[in-house]
Amino acid sequence: MAAILTPDVIALLDSAETIKILATVDANGAPDAVEKPSLHHGGDGTIHVLEFLETSAANRNLTHAIWFGGSVSIALHGADGHRVQIKGRPVKLHITGPLFQKHYVRARETLGDVDLAGVWVIEPDEVIDERFEKVRAREDAAHPDFIHLDRIAV
Amino acid sequence: MVALLKEIYRAEPSFDEVLAEHPRFPRLIARKIDVQRRGVHYTEAAEKAVDPAVHQLRSPYIFGSRDGEIKPLPESLLLRDGTTILVDPTPLDQNPYVVDYRDGRFVLLDDGQRVEEVDLWPKPSYYDKLTTSGLPMSHIVSARPQRLNVFQSSFCYFWADKEGCQFCDIVTHTKQQRDEIGVPNRLRPEDVKETVAEAIKEPGRFTNLCLTAGSVTKGKEIFDLEVEFYIELLQAIGENFRTKKFPSQLIASAFNEKQLARLYNETGLTSYTTDLEVLNEELFGWICPGKARQVGYQGWKQRLVNAVDIFGRGNVGTGIVGGVETAQPSGFKSEHDALQSTLAEADWLAARGVTTVYIVWVPRPGSAFRDQKAPSLDYFIRLAKGLQDIRASHGLKVDFDDYRRCGNHPDSDLARLQ
Repeated sequence: MAAILTPDVIALLDSAETIKILATVDANGAPDAVEKPSLHHGGDGTIHVLEFLETSAANRNLTHAIWFGGSVSIALHGADGHRVQIKGRPVKLHITGPLFQKHYVRARETLGDVDLAGVWVIEPDEVIDERFEKVRAREDAAHPDFIHLDRIAV
Repeated sequence: MVALLKEIYRAEPSFDEVLAEHPRFPRLIARKIDVQRRGVHYTEAAEKAVDPAVHQLRSPYIFGSRDGEIKPLPESLLLRDGTTILVDPTPLDQNPYVVDYRDGRFVLLDDGQRVEEVDLWPKPSYYDKLTTSGLPMSHIVSARPQRLNVFQSSFCYFWADKEGCQFCDIVTHTKQQRDEIGVPNRLRPEDVKETVAEAIKEPGRFTNLCLTAGSVTKGKEIFDLEVEFYIELLQAIGENFRTKKFPSQLIASAFNEKQLARLYNETGLTSYTTDLEVLNEELFGWICPGKARQVGYQGWKQRLVNAVDIFGRGNVGTGIVGGVETAQPSGFKSEHDALQSTLAEADWLAARGVTTVYIVWVPRPGSAFRDQKAPSLDYFIRLAKGLQDIRASHGLKVDFDDYRRCGNHPDSDLARLQ
């Protein structure tokens, strides 16, 4: 069952101010994290990632993930400090057709003489609020003994 | 139509049983192989859901199909990882996969079970246009998801000498296309140039061009006339580009160094392929008698190696009809022996800068091998993995023939992770 992207997460995905990181792993488990400003909400609850380089590590790793059921992680950091991590799975790659062509044309209009290798569709499995106060609250609730004693000294 | 042997694929291990033996092989590529091996049948619901304004219907092709017919069915399929499946409509009694339309999507069924969602190839916009000479552009240059195919002529002089390759139906099919849908016997360069110009107006659609045709043995030296035809055609196509070189592949006869140098220097061609078809000298003599008599297996191989000096390492390839080495009565009796022999030869070629790719052998009704049976799914998986491993071990790229530029080679699909 895919996770639902709430309006605030969708806004984060679609904001040009948001720092967007895509993390993948290769066939040997080696990680790769790369900033992906092109990452955005697909409009149907999925996330789209424009991949400009056919042989990038991210593109190879996404291919490995769709072939072998692997997952990816997306970290978002909004201008307002809102942080979210999304875990998901690549479910489709568009290399031709209307969606691909729309992004190809738009990318060339906005970025100049670039090519487009494909548009990956990521289905979110889990959305985690990563704002520090939220993470700390979760940690404190689950592990109340994890604390330096000086913090509770009289 | 020639009667076909009924293939009983259910007597083989199931798809899942075969895949269990290959846990590191991508399931989607295995599915592609199996679909190509067995063919597809479109249900009535699928046929009704096909929109000729949106989907690419079958266009002229150099080889014929497994049903021996030319019908307005979808050209072919795309899997969800962007993998192309080139596959023919196939009679139901041969136990093909079934393409159905369910809940607004095209789906692939095996034995009634939904196994994958598929897309039909999108129709390129130039397909509805005519050349100045009045021919449908779809008859001049045919499309794959990202490639333009120019089949200059489907006549092969090896056939004229009754020495055509035994798996091939090129001349049978060209006659059928000419008679039934009016495809010209030989393309005029001006028609091709005009069609390519129209095709590349579509943003983000095409990434390369591929030219191929039958062998023309005529000329002062063998194949001189064939080379002349290609130079004329490539020069006309090249007028559409602002760079001298443009991403392109020529799949043609085994040319000598002088002919290859002319092709490289006088045109925008970037890669050259000449097909050995089967990587075994004895079987080459049996399966490709014309090629064997006029050039010979060793001669064909040497011309491939010589081409590397001209086109560069990684830009020269040979295609094989994967599995035809098991054709009977002269082929390998054991799939294990066939694989060992084929991969050893591919390794020899790779060490000299020549990449080998395979297509899944489909015994076609218009070929001499129409009653043969292709090998198992397990064989094709091992062949794909073996060829890709060889390529990777020699540091060879296959950019001119990969999943985007061609899409018809399961082994080069695997290069996506290379």
